[in-house]
Amino acid sequence: MDGVAVADATLRYAQVSVGYHGTPVLTDVNLDLTPGQRLALIGPNGAGKSTLIKSILGLVPVLAGTSTVLGRTPSQARALIGYVPQTDSLDADFPVTAGQVVMMGRYRRIGWWRPTRSADRRRVHEALDRLGLADHARTHFGVLSGGQRQRVLLARAIAAEPRLLLLDEPFNGVDAVSQEAILSVLRDLSAVGTTLVLSTHDLTVARELADTVCVLNGRQWAVGPPDETVTADTLRRAYGGHAIELRDGRTVLVEP
Amino acid sequence: MNWWDDALHRATAEVLLAGALAGLVGVHVVLRRLSFFTMALTHATFPGVVAASIIGVNIVVGGVVAGAIVALGVAALSRHRSQNTAAATGVMLSGGFALGAGLVATQNGFSRDLTSFLVGSILTVSPQDLVTTAVALVVVAAVLLACARPLRYTGFDRVGAQAAGFATGVWDVVLLLAIQVAVVTIVPAIGTILALALIVAPAAAARQWSHRLSVITALAVTFGALGGLGGLYASSRWDVAAGASITLTATAVLALSTVLSRLVRSRPTAAARPQALAA
Repeated sequence: MDGVAVADATLRYAQVSVGYHGTPVLTDVNLDLTPGQRLALIGPNGAGKSTLIKSILGLVPVLAGTSTVLGRTPSQARALIGYVPQTDSLDADFPVTAGQVVMMGRYRRIGWWRPTRSADRRRVHEALDRLGLADHARTHFGVLSGGQRQRVLLARAIAAEPRLLLLDEPFNGVDAVSQEAILSVLRDLSAVGTTLVLSTHDLTVARELADTVCVLNGRQWAVGPPDETVTADTLRRAYGGHAIELRDGRTVLVEP
Repeated sequence: MNWWDDALHRATAEVLLAGALAGLVGVHVVLRRLSFFTMALTHATFPGVVAASIIGVNIVVGGVVAGAIVALGVAALSRHRSQNTAAATGVMLSGGFALGAGLVATQNGFSRDLTSFLVGSILTVSPQDLVTTAVALVVVAAVLLACARPLRYTGFDRVGAQAAGFATGVWDVVLLLAIQVAVVTIVPAIGTILALALIVAPAAAARQWSHRLSVITALAVTFGALGGLGGLYASSRWDVAAGASITLTATAVLALSTVLSRLVRSRPTAAARPQALAA
């Protein structure tokens, strides 16, 4: 990694509140991410995880505090950010192939009307191949399994070559094979300096993948290394006591 | 005598062009579930067309203005309560239609009677109308082709498209304008209350045969043109109103396609059934 990139914070949130129509959904968010960092956002349903992700894209307004993404405002940085939405927000009946979906990741570089170049098609093929879907380029997106759909969406994000990658619940409804494929690609991306922000319900995955965990529920309850944040005490406070089940000193199970 | 001097020749050319145009925009109407909205557009062109005839401006202009008011009205009404888009659309639909009927009633000795607005008048198509339809077809096809990528992205994954920097509102307007141009062009020939079937039925039939947008579009254009042609033939053969027989033909195309596509799809399943039971 070159020195300039390391010195540049990828994402900096100071005392940030985000929400809709002037009503905050999430308050007191403080984040400071550097290239290659892997942040997991955890919290119960409605905690504001998706809202926080959308605020990084500038799709949900920052109501208070200062937010800098790749040295700019969120909406100015949008072109440099990759985004993997929840698969249930898509129209799976829409007639597109997996290859066409991944090509969408190149649209910003190609422009909305210029023809695709061989470099674009190669990137698409590489991205599908990395996620083990090279044979499915011509398959209709709607007939793919949940895990395959998620992998296609990650391939689309990779094809855009982003510096910051946001993933909204990338492991929801995903089989073990797909989960392993996604985790392995995410680790590789982080190793070459791509910053990752992902929301998840799965505390095991959060611990396994992330080097930083942010516990949310209406506000930021904790942020830091998994060992310091995914603790019974923090989770009990953030989730509400009844939702926590303790097995031994270290393992914490959350029943949503 | 020139080929264009024959009313039936002009009508034939008009149904081919109008059917192709209807099939083309119909694909997007069907994929984005905009049928009810398009229904409101067809009915909203009615008062615009009548008002334009009364004050003596081009009826296409009147239709476009009225359609734009409806599109904006639906957008504004549904902004307040997002779940009430259907209610807002329904009100605009019948309100617009009532306004048109009222305007027609105020005019004594009006040059075009109410029925010709409601079910169309394909046999009175003028050479200028043909040129208008041909230009509309070329323009709409060019716009849909040029904007294929943003329309695909926003149709498939709205939030993803926003995140990728596409101004989804702008592309919505582009698509709605394309639909509206098609509606305003088709309605005088096919009729206010009948145009929707020619827009939706060929595209819905085409959707049953492919998962590729290019194939669906080609099929929808073909089905639309054939539906128009078949309807016109039936109209002159059995002397029924052209708008009605075109609509019935388009409906028949969809019915036939539904049955055939079910048959084609159930055949391999039936063959695989014993195997599935064994496993």
